[in-house]
Amino acid sequence: MDIAKYRTLFLEEATEHLAEIGQALLVLEKDARAGEALDTVFRLMHSMKGMGASLGYDAVSELAHRLEDRLGAWKKCGGIDDPHGLALLFHGLESLERMVAAVRETAEAPPPDLALLGELGDREPEKKAPRLP
Amino acid sequence: MSIRVLVADDARFMRQLIREIIEPEGFEVVGEAADGRAAVEEFQRLSPDLVTMDIVMPKRSGIDAVKEILALDPSAKVAMVSALGQESLVMEALQAGASDYIVKPFKPDSVVATLRKIAEKGA
Repeated sequence: MDIAKYRTLFLEEATEHLAEIGQALLVLEKDARAGEALDTVFRLMHSMKGMGASLGYDAVSELAHRLEDRLGAWKKCGGIDDPHGLALLFHGLESLERMVAAVRETAEAPPPDLALLGELGDREPEKKAPRLP
Repeated sequence: MSIRVLVADDARFMRQLIREIIEPEGFEVVGEAADGRAAVEEFQRLSPDLVTMDIVMPKRSGIDAVKEILALDPSAKVAMVSALGQESLVMEALQAGASDYIVKPFKPDSVVATLRKIAEKGA
Protein backbone atom coordinates (compact mmCIF):
# COMPACT_ATOMS: atom_id res chain seq x y z
CA MET A 1 0.00 0.00 0.00
CA ASP A 2 1.41 3.34 -1.06
CA ILE A 3 0.79 5.23 2.19
CA ALA A 4 1.56 8.67 0.74
CA LYS A 5 -0.96 8.15 -2.06
CA TYR A 6 -3.66 6.96 0.34
CA ARG A 7 -2.86 9.78 2.78
CA THR A 8 -3.54 12.26 -0.03
CA LEU A 9 -6.79 10.46 -0.90
CA PHE A 10 -7.76 10.52 2.79
CA LEU A 11 -7.04 14.24 3.10
CA GLU A 12 -9.12 15.05 0.02
CA GLU A 13 -12.05 12.85 0.88
CA ALA A 14 -12.05 13.54 4.63
CA THR A 15 -12.06 17.29 3.96
CA GLU A 16 -15.09 16.87 1.68
CA HIS A 17 -16.84 14.64 4.21
CA LEU A 18 -16.29 17.05 7.09
CA ALA A 19 -17.63 19.97 5.04
CA GLU A 20 -20.71 17.90 4.20
CA ILE A 21 -21.14 16.87 7.84
CA GLY A 22 -20.98 20.57 8.79
CA GLN A 23 -23.78 21.39 6.33
CA ALA A 24 -25.92 18.50 7.59
CA LEU A 25 -25.40 19.60 11.22
CA LEU A 26 -26.73 23.05 10.33
CA VAL A 27 -29.88 21.35 9.02
CA LEU A 28 -30.13 19.27 12.21
CA GLU A 29 -29.71 22.42 14.29
CA LYS A 30 -33.00 23.67 12.80
CA ASP A 31 -34.73 20.29 12.91
CA ALA A 32 -33.29 17.54 15.10
CA ARG A 33 -35.54 15.01 13.34
CA ALA A 34 -34.31 15.78 9.81
CA GLY A 35 -33.90 12.18 8.67
CA GLU A 36 -31.90 12.82 5.52
CA ALA A 37 -29.35 14.99 7.36
CA LEU A 38 -29.04 12.38 10.11
CA ASP A 39 -28.49 9.66 7.49
CA THR A 40 -25.83 11.79 5.81
CA VAL A 41 -23.88 12.41 9.03
CA PHE A 42 -24.14 8.71 9.94
CA ARG A 43 -22.89 7.58 6.52
CA LEU A 44 -19.99 10.04 6.44
CA MET A 45 -18.91 9.15 10.00
CA HIS A 46 -18.95 5.53 8.89
CA SER A 47 -16.73 6.44 5.96
CA MET A 48 -14.33 8.44 8.19
CA LYS A 49 -14.09 5.39 10.45
CA GLY A 50 -13.20 3.10 7.56
CA MET A 51 -10.60 5.41 6.04
CA GLY A 52 -9.02 6.16 9.43
CA ALA A 53 -8.80 2.47 10.31
CA SER A 54 -7.26 1.63 6.92
CA LEU A 55 -4.42 4.08 7.50
CA GLY A 56 -3.90 3.26 11.18
CA TYR A 57 -5.29 6.64 12.28
CA ASP A 58 -6.87 5.15 15.39
CA ALA A 59 -7.83 8.55 16.82
CA VAL A 60 -9.96 9.24 13.73
CA SER A 61 -11.53 5.79 13.50
CA GLU A 62 -12.26 5.54 17.23
CA LEU A 63 -13.93 8.95 17.46
CA ALA A 64 -15.89 8.41 14.23
CA HIS A 65 -16.93 4.96 15.47
CA ARG A 66 -18.31 6.28 18.76
CA LEU A 67 -20.12 9.12 17.01
CA GLU A 68 -21.50 6.62 14.50
CA ASP A 69 -22.83 4.51 17.41
CA ARG A 70 -24.63 7.57 18.83
CA LEU A 71 -25.97 8.50 15.41
CA GLY A 72 -27.19 4.94 14.86
CA ALA A 73 -29.16 5.10 18.11
CA TRP A 74 -30.67 8.48 17.13
CA LYS A 75 -31.60 7.14 13.70
CA LYS A 76 -33.50 4.30 15.37
CA CYS A 77 -35.52 6.68 17.52
CA GLY A 78 -36.22 9.07 14.62
CA GLY A 79 -34.07 12.02 15.63
CA ILE A 80 -31.60 13.49 18.12
CA ASP A 81 -33.43 13.10 21.41
CA ASP A 82 -30.55 14.18 23.65
CA PRO A 83 -30.43 17.93 24.50
CA HIS A 84 -26.62 17.84 24.31
CA GLY A 85 -26.55 15.65 21.21
CA LEU A 86 -26.01 18.35 18.65
CA ALA A 87 -23.27 20.02 20.71
CA LEU A 88 -21.55 16.65 20.91
CA LEU A 89 -21.71 16.28 17.13
CA PHE A 90 -20.30 19.79 16.59
CA HIS A 91 -17.48 18.96 19.04
CA GLY A 92 -16.88 15.75 17.14
CA LEU A 93 -16.72 17.62 13.86
CA GLU A 94 -14.22 20.15 15.26
CA SER A 95 -12.09 17.40 16.70
CA LEU A 96 -12.04 15.45 13.42
CA GLU A 97 -11.14 18.66 11.57
CA ARG A 98 -8.19 19.15 13.95
CA MET A 99 -7.09 15.56 13.37
CA VAL A 100 -7.25 15.91 9.59
CA ALA A 101 -5.29 19.18 9.84
CA ALA A 102 -2.68 17.39 11.97
CA VAL A 103 -2.31 14.64 9.34
CA ARG A 104 -1.93 17.32 6.66
CA GLU A 105 0.77 19.13 8.65
CA THR A 106 2.74 16.21 10.04
CA ALA A 107 1.90 13.22 7.79
CA GLU A 108 1.61 11.28 11.06
CA ALA A 109 -1.29 9.65 12.88
CA PRO A 110 -3.03 12.33 14.98
CA PRO A 111 -3.41 12.08 18.78
CA PRO A 112 -6.77 11.02 20.27
CA ASP A 113 -9.28 13.46 21.75
CA LEU A 114 -9.50 11.75 25.12
CA ALA A 115 -11.85 14.34 26.63
CA LEU A 116 -14.44 13.85 23.89
CA LEU A 117 -14.04 10.07 23.91
CA GLY A 118 -14.70 10.21 27.67
CA GLU A 119 -17.87 12.23 27.04
CA LEU A 120 -19.05 9.75 24.41
CA GLY A 121 -18.54 6.71 26.64
CA ASP A 122 -17.75 3.18 25.56
CA ARG A 123 -18.36 1.78 22.10
CA GLU A 124 -21.27 -0.55 21.61
CA PRO A 125 -20.04 -4.07 22.36
CA GLU A 126 -18.93 -5.94 19.27
CA LYS A 127 -20.93 -8.99 18.32
CA LYS A 128 -19.54 -12.21 16.93
CA ALA A 129 -18.82 -12.33 13.21
CA PRO A 130 -21.86 -13.55 11.31
CA ARG A 131 -21.77 -17.08 9.90
CA LEU A 132 -22.84 -17.88 6.40
CA PRO A 133 -26.40 -19.21 6.34
CA MET B 1 -9.22 -15.44 -17.67
CA SER B 2 -9.64 -12.65 -15.15
CA ILE B 3 -12.65 -12.38 -12.86
CA ARG B 4 -14.66 -9.27 -13.72
CA VAL B 5 -15.59 -7.24 -10.64
CA LEU B 6 -17.89 -4.30 -9.98
CA VAL B 7 -16.82 -2.31 -6.87
CA ALA B 8 -19.61 -0.42 -5.10
CA ASP B 9 -18.56 1.94 -2.31
CA ASP B 10 -19.33 5.61 -1.69
CA ALA B 11 -15.70 6.32 -0.69
CA ARG B 12 -13.17 6.77 -3.53
CA PHE B 13 -10.52 5.77 -0.99
CA MET B 14 -12.11 2.34 -0.51
CA ARG B 15 -12.82 1.76 -4.20
CA GLN B 16 -9.19 2.47 -5.00
CA LEU B 17 -7.96 0.26 -2.15
CA ILE B 18 -10.06 -2.72 -3.27
CA ARG B 19 -8.88 -2.24 -6.85
CA GLU B 20 -5.22 -2.23 -5.79
CA ILE B 21 -5.66 -5.30 -3.60
CA ILE B 22 -7.42 -7.48 -6.16
CA GLU B 23 -6.14 -6.44 -9.60
CA PRO B 24 -2.67 -7.99 -9.19
CA GLU B 25 -4.40 -11.23 -8.13
CA GLY B 26 -6.29 -12.05 -11.30
CA PHE B 27 -9.35 -9.83 -10.90
CA GLU B 28 -10.32 -7.03 -13.27
CA VAL B 29 -12.33 -4.11 -11.89
CA VAL B 30 -14.69 -3.44 -14.78
CA GLY B 31 -16.74 -0.76 -13.07
CA GLU B 32 -17.26 1.32 -9.94
CA ALA B 33 -20.41 2.66 -8.29
CA ALA B 34 -20.63 5.33 -5.60
CA ASP B 35 -24.17 4.58 -4.40
CA GLY B 36 -26.64 1.73 -4.25
CA ARG B 37 -28.71 2.88 -7.20
CA ALA B 38 -25.65 3.17 -9.44
CA ALA B 39 -24.53 -0.28 -8.27
CA VAL B 40 -27.74 -1.84 -9.60
CA GLU B 41 -27.48 0.13 -12.87
CA GLU B 42 -23.85 -0.80 -13.38
CA PHE B 43 -24.60 -4.44 -12.59
CA GLN B 44 -27.20 -4.51 -15.36
CA ARG B 45 -24.90 -2.73 -17.79
CA LEU B 46 -21.70 -4.67 -17.11
CA SER B 47 -22.88 -8.14 -15.99
CA PRO B 48 -19.80 -8.62 -13.78
CA ASP B 49 -18.78 -12.01 -12.38
CA LEU B 50 -18.72 -10.57 -8.88
CA VAL B 51 -19.77 -7.42 -6.98
CA THR B 52 -18.21 -6.00 -3.82
CA MET B 53 -20.94 -4.05 -2.07
CA ASP B 54 -20.48 -1.58 0.77
CA ILE B 55 -23.41 -1.62 3.19
CA VAL B 56 -23.70 2.07 4.10
CA MET B 57 -24.19 4.05 0.88
CA PRO B 58 -26.38 6.97 -0.22
CA LYS B 59 -29.51 6.79 -2.39
CA ARG B 60 -29.97 3.07 -1.82
CA SER B 61 -28.27 1.01 0.89
CA GLY B 62 -25.99 -1.85 -0.06
CA ILE B 63 -28.54 -4.29 1.36
CA ASP B 64 -31.37 -2.94 -0.81
CA ALA B 65 -29.03 -2.98 -3.82
CA VAL B 66 -28.16 -6.65 -3.18
CA LYS B 67 -31.84 -7.56 -2.98
CA GLU B 68 -32.49 -5.78 -6.26
CA ILE B 69 -29.51 -7.35 -8.00
CA LEU B 70 -30.55 -10.82 -6.86
CA ALA B 71 -34.09 -10.20 -8.06
CA LEU B 72 -32.62 -9.36 -11.48
CA ASP B 73 -30.20 -12.28 -11.46
CA PRO B 74 -30.59 -14.93 -8.75
CA SER B 75 -27.15 -16.36 -9.62
CA ALA B 76 -25.35 -13.01 -9.00
CA LYS B 77 -22.37 -13.21 -6.68
CA VAL B 78 -22.09 -10.38 -4.18
CA ALA B 79 -19.54 -9.89 -1.40
CA MET B 80 -20.68 -7.44 1.27
CA VAL B 81 -18.09 -4.97 2.54
CA SER B 82 -18.68 -4.52 6.23
CA ALA B 83 -17.10 -2.72 9.16
CA LEU B 84 -16.98 -3.46 12.86
CA GLY B 85 -20.37 -3.03 14.46
CA GLN B 86 -22.38 -4.04 11.37
CA GLU B 87 -22.92 -7.69 12.24
CA SER B 88 -26.72 -7.55 12.10
CA LEU B 89 -26.67 -5.77 8.72
CA VAL B 90 -24.24 -8.37 7.34
CA MET B 91 -26.55 -11.10 8.58
CA GLU B 92 -29.49 -9.44 6.83
CA ALA B 93 -27.50 -9.23 3.59
CA LEU B 94 -26.43 -12.87 3.80
CA GLN B 95 -30.02 -13.94 4.41
CA ALA B 96 -31.04 -11.86 1.39
CA GLY B 97 -28.63 -13.91 -0.72
CA ALA B 98 -25.24 -12.18 -0.57
CA SER B 99 -22.50 -14.79 -1.02
CA ASP B 100 -20.07 -13.77 1.73
CA TYR B 101 -18.51 -10.67 3.28
CA ILE B 102 -15.18 -8.93 3.73
CA VAL B 103 -14.33 -6.68 6.67
CA LYS B 104 -12.77 -3.21 6.84
CA PRO B 105 -9.96 -2.46 7.52
CA PHE B 106 -9.01 -4.92 4.80
CA LYS B 107 -6.52 -7.74 5.18
CA PRO B 108 -5.48 -8.14 1.54
CA ASP B 109 -4.94 -11.92 1.68
CA SER B 110 -8.31 -12.45 3.26
CA VAL B 111 -10.07 -10.19 0.72
CA VAL B 112 -8.52 -12.07 -2.20
CA ALA B 113 -9.24 -15.50 -0.68
CA THR B 114 -12.88 -14.62 0.01
CA LEU B 115 -13.49 -13.19 -3.46
CA ARG B 116 -11.78 -16.14 -5.12
CA LYS B 117 -13.89 -18.57 -3.09
CA ILE B 118 -17.09 -16.78 -4.15
CA ALA B 119 -16.04 -16.60 -7.79
CA GLU B 120 -15.21 -20.31 -7.89
CA LYS B 121 -18.48 -21.32 -6.24
CA GLY B 122 -20.77 -22.63 -8.97
CA ALA B 123 -18.35 -21.53 -11.71
